[in-house]
Amino acid sequence: MVRANERLFYGILGFIVIGLIWEAAGDLGLYRKSLLSTPSLVWTAAVQDFGSGAIWPDLGTSFVEFALGFGAAMVVGIPLGIAIGMFRRVDHFVSLLLFGIYSTPKAAIAPLIILTAGIGLESKVILVFLLAFFSVIVSTVAGVRSVAERHLDIAHSFGASRWLQFRSVILPSTFPFILTGTRIATGRALVGVIVAEELAANQGIGHYIELYGAFLQTSRVMLGIVLLGLFGIILGEGVRRIEKRYEVWRQEIH
Amino acid sequence: MAASSELALSARGLRMEYRDRSSDTRLVAIETMDLDVGDGEFVSLLGPSGCGKSTFLKIVNGLLKATAGEIRLRRSGTGREDAMVFQDAALFPWYSVLDNVAYGLVCAGVSNADARKRAAPLVELVGLQGFETKYPYQLSGGMQQRANLARALAVDAAILLMDEPFASLDAQTREVMQAELLRIWNAARKTVVFVTHQIEEAVYLSDRVVVMSSRPGRILADIRIELPRPRLLEVKRSAEFTAYAAQIWKLLASQPAAADSGRHG
Repeated sequence: MVRANERLFYGILGFIVIGLIWEAAGDLGLYRKSLLSTPSLVWTAAVQDFGSGAIWPDLGTSFVEFALGFGAAMVVGIPLGIAIGMFRRVDHFVSLLLFGIYSTPKAAIAPLIILTAGIGLESKVILVFLLAFFSVIVSTVAGVRSVAERHLDIAHSFGASRWLQFRSVILPSTFPFILTGTRIATGRALVGVIVAEELAANQGIGHYIELYGAFLQTSRVMLGIVLLGLFGIILGEGVRRIEKRYEVWRQEIH
Repeated sequence: MAASSELALSARGLRMEYRDRSSDTRLVAIETMDLDVGDGEFVSLLGPSGCGKSTFLKIVNGLLKATAGEIRLRRSGTGREDAMVFQDAALFPWYSVLDNVAYGLVCAGVSNADARKRAAPLVELVGLQGFETKYPYQLSGGMQQRANLARALAVDAAILLMDEPFASLDAQTREVMQAELLRIWNAARKTVVFVTHQIEEAVYLSDRVVVMSSRPGRILADIRIELPRPRLLEVKRSAEFTAYAAQIWKLLASQPAAADSGRHG
């Protein structure tokens, strides 16, 4: 507990120190405020946009895109990953295909997706899904492949049914890996949201950043970035905490 | 020769070969093995590593299929014929002690709630009361092996197959667990086939010590241990005990070292 609090304390302290340096550098005129803004100007922008409520629709849109794409990545990625890990034929059938899509930079596919799925919600969800999906699959497959032989032996020895083997051995062994995949996927999903929105959108945080960037309102651009960062930290930290709970026996598996 | 006329286990002409992938030759793990174990008997299989003693247990348990030969197990009516007590780290780290002990019952189709109810007295029998909700990583090695034993006892099989269950314990814990095993064996009245490479452990525990050769495994001798029961740990310092140990040691010493051929269990 003390450790966790200490970590949080120094983490926040780090933010404050960097913020102060940034602020001071701006006030001392070391750079042009109109290009890089300052924390106090970002704060003013936040008070304005949250006060007027103007930013909420953008936040809401981005959140929905994120949640749908990320959720779909989990719903498809986890079962598919398990199937790939467990059945060699499934592995052979989809691996090359998946690896091909995985190796292609998503930014290259994005224009095609927008062309076919439009500039609305659908194209964003598809891109978010494509980005998040692979982290989930890769980790899940790794989890299934690292199930300990001796744990399977126990299940066989006592005559567990195939379903019980799955439930009592494969799933719990794989679970920590799925969590890791999930954590990595949150970050990638966020990238998907912003890339898609900056390419073509009329709402969302990516659009907000793009729009105010064009008007050189860097405080608002910064505000968008900070909000994204905050969201990423909270989400990643949340998953990391769940992961920690399972860490004790995860070490034991290897 | 068995305590009861009925046989708990009977192996005839058992042979086990492996294909060695690197050289594509066949390795003989067990040459031919005939073994009878009487009902209620405690029999140890003793031999150097790689002699096929663990392989034998796995064949009996159904985890491996023998190349040739036949295994017959007496059916006890209800439940499984045999239950395995594995080597170290053989508990599921994601289950509590109670759920680990109940696992064999769940495998046999007993509902979770009933399995836990039936597992509870065995947790007590092996001396783990108060640790039911703990997880394996919270237990010492000795306690983990107690839970491992309780899991095998819970399914109420006629035969317990024990695969070097105390091999990774420190010397002192090992002695405590040996005495504990005899106490539990006495209470549960099971047939036990116990695999070990420790002479002294085999002599102390067993009614019979079956000495195996280094690979390819075959039976060198089948020695009846006539030490009175119940056996206290002090028996290990008696002259008879020492004589048995010396006799077995001589048998094993006549064997070529198996260090370079003992890669498979």
